[in-house]
Amino acid sequence: MSETHAKKSTAPINAFLIAQVIIFVLFLVFLGWRLYLVISSGVYGPDTWVRFTISGLIIGSVYSVIAIGYTLVYGILFMINFAHGEIMMLGAFAGYFVFEALKSIPIASTGMSFLDSFQIISVVLAFLAGMFIAAVSGYYLEKIAYRPLRGAPRLIPLISAIGASIFLQNAAQVMFGPKRRTYFNPASLQRSVGWRIPIGGEEVILTYTGVLTFVLSILLLVCLYILVMRTRYGRSMRAVAEDKQTAALMGIDVDRIISNTFIISGALGGAAGVMWGIHNGIIYHYVGFIPGLKAFTAAVLGGIGNIPGAMIGGIMLGIVESLGPAALGIDFQLKDVIAFSILVLILIFRPSGIVGEVLSEEKV
Amino acid sequence: MNDQYKISANSGLVFGVVIMFLMLFGLTTTLADIIGNIFSLPSNARAGNTGGLIFLFALLGLWAGFRAAGSDRTNLKRVIISSLISGVIIGLFIGVFSYFVGALDGMDVEMRNYFVQLDRPSVSFLLYGRPILTGSLITFGIYLIFGVLGGLLAYYVEIKKPNEYLQKQYLVLKDKALNAGIVKKYTQSPRANLISYGVLFVMLLIFPQMLGKYWNYAMGTVGIYVLMGLGLNIVVGLAGLLDLGYVAFFAIGAYTAGLLTAPAPIPLQIGFWPVLILSILFAAVAGILLGLPVLRMRGDYLAIVTLGFGEIIRVLIRSDMMAPYLGGPQGVRDIAGPSLFGISLTNEKAYLYMIIIGILLTILFTNYLQNSRVGRAWMAMREDETVAQAMGINTLYYKLMAFATGAAFAGLGGALFAARNQYTGPADHTLMVSINVLCLLIVGGMGSIPGVIVGAFVLKGLPEILRELDLYRLLVFGALLVIMMIIRPEGLWPAPRRRMELHEVVDLEGLPPEGKLVGEEG
Repeated sequence: MSETHAKKSTAPINAFLIAQVIIFVLFLVFLGWRLYLVISSGVYGPDTWVRFTISGLIIGSVYSVIAIGYTLVYGILFMINFAHGEIMMLGAFAGYFVFEALKSIPIASTGMSFLDSFQIISVVLAFLAGMFIAAVSGYYLEKIAYRPLRGAPRLIPLISAIGASIFLQNAAQVMFGPKRRTYFNPASLQRSVGWRIPIGGEEVILTYTGVLTFVLSILLLVCLYILVMRTRYGRSMRAVAEDKQTAALMGIDVDRIISNTFIISGALGGAAGVMWGIHNGIIYHYVGFIPGLKAFTAAVLGGIGNIPGAMIGGIMLGIVESLGPAALGIDFQLKDVIAFSILVLILIFRPSGIVGEVLSEEKV
Repeated sequence: MNDQYKISANSGLVFGVVIMFLMLFGLTTTLADIIGNIFSLPSNARAGNTGGLIFLFALLGLWAGFRAAGSDRTNLKRVIISSLISGVIIGLFIGVFSYFVGALDGMDVEMRNYFVQLDRPSVSFLLYGRPILTGSLITFGIYLIFGVLGGLLAYYVEIKKPNEYLQKQYLVLKDKALNAGIVKKYTQSPRANLISYGVLFVMLLIFPQMLGKYWNYAMGTVGIYVLMGLGLNIVVGLAGLLDLGYVAFFAIGAYTAGLLTAPAPIPLQIGFWPVLILSILFAAVAGILLGLPVLRMRGDYLAIVTLGFGEIIRVLIRSDMMAPYLGGPQGVRDIAGPSLFGISLTNEKAYLYMIIIGILLTILFTNYLQNSRVGRAWMAMREDETVAQAMGINTLYYKLMAFATGAAFAGLGGALFAARNQYTGPADHTLMVSINVLCLLIVGGMGSIPGVIVGAFVLKGLPEILRELDLYRLLVFGALLVIMMIIRPEGLWPAPRRRMELHEVVDLEGLPPEGKLVGEEG
């Protein structure tokens, strides 16, 4: 293997490498120059930077949770589960419906609705419903759209995944209507309410929804990490990811492991959907698509197939995306451009991601 | 024995869930209306045709019963029990669902706020305009009766074998037709291809004259999609590079045409014909520029990068930052149309002719490329890049060429599209355009020129005819993509070579579920 690599890196590849380095250095110089301009102009005070960082951390933690879904599936099947963002959207809708239903149940003893009387139970119920619906959708998605295609050329499952994504998006649009809905949170989880932290003479609000989202994401990620790395079940998952045939010979039910992977990644997507709803407040049929794409970016950023990588990638992407437009002094509308540019750059220059091990060429 | 009944119950449950979703999508109402109109059935509800609804439910029940009849269809008793089980389950499922919806509606819950298709009239329609209990019982009854009838039908088919009889008749007829003098003479004549092309050409000339304004416009849209499909066919079908950001080149073509001919935001106002050439050139250059960095990527990574590129272009043309140069969210207005010898060619008919000429030229060009050294290099690359490289094919060069050619066709399509609408804006260049083009390629058959045309007519022409189903167009697209991948990945009119390849894959599926057998490297 090493010999072929040595042969490959002859003249043209070297030129390519040099070109890459030059572009990268120019890019860094440009970044530094813009950063210097913005900071020296003093448009943004320290409070603004803290605000951006906080919102970046929160959104980044949601990206991490979604990114894990991509990474788990990619690690096992080497396919991009393009419909993962839509699974997240379904989870968000499930949570929304739970809140709406609980809102309409009056409790006589407190004189308020169930939602406001038992807030913790309501939130737990919403998360359970979101995770359940998303897990079920993930399970059936794999069973219907991916399982019959196992062993087909690689583009075929990807196209099937794109089809599933379009189907789910439009199914949601036709069923729930195209209008945007506002998540009706319990009373103590009102958006824009939270702890006030004084920074540099200004106040920065650390919202309760944001803290809930962040803490819950980290909790989920830690649980997942323990599940995959420390339990017997996780070991069989890793074995299947390594080599399906050998795993099957060792007595592991490969089909069941794959199904369960989709269930787990679906549940994580559903939880992310509910978090998205609670924190951002607005959901509609298209809500999963862009976060899904960005979470995929995060997974690639950290090295796809690598669980800690997805976590770090998600948080990094969130921070870069929220600090980027300010730091570069460009329009906030262009934050998606920053995210996608990162995706393109990472895939071009370091397809193994920042923490990922170097994948063999077949995998890339 | 019990297993058989379990399978029937399962099948009933699947049917129940699917029918419930059809009701939530509002498809039952639409389909019932279509059926009702065809057979002019009576109706006693405002929102739809209840006769059609009964007909639809009866058909579905029949199908479910037929499916549930099981493997051993010669045993009448078991067939009836199996289909009865499935019928009862579907009936219960849908009946309870209808009752539930009706009851919620009766409790003054605004269902419409949550499920848009379940507004008051629709709920009453799903209950046949009758009280809740009666309506649900009618539904239950229909599924029960027709489920059993479906089972009996399965039994009848198994015993009497009418399908084999029909098949035999069909083969006899086909044989007769093929042996009839004129057909035989035609199919064996060496000039057959030439004659059919001639007939097609004359038809293309006459066609736009016969159609009205609306249909000329609609056919023009189909034609532009054929153009783009031909372009993407080169990138995806021949060279095997999945490009999900194809709309970017379409946008570049459209915006080049728009910005250079429109009075605002850039007051250049060059004439149409030079701009048409420029659009194609710019798109091709953009293709090379995108191709350069992503050359070394393979398979799905390439797909995602191109998708990201398409999204970047879309966000950029929407943004306020670029608005002074690109028009922002409002887009570019008053794009000039073409004129020839002082005659303005800005009606639908002239555009249709131009699009047809563009398609013919593109087809000739594609055909030429496909059967040349370049085409063979592309196909070799598609099959196995490493081997192609070992054979001395400069893959970087040929990939760039595929990107540039494909992009040029999209640029042409974009320029014609912008000129015809006299407007272009960010809404014309969403990801859905890329997906649509990819869909038509897959439905028609990748790597096949007639396949592209068939695909464009199916995906862009059929929705024009079935306007009632417009709401469900994308829903059906998505489902179609999945279904095509599972049952017919080579498309409706596949290229012969590709069909062979894919069927080889199907044969290999009997082996262990290990993805590395075929095309894992690609």
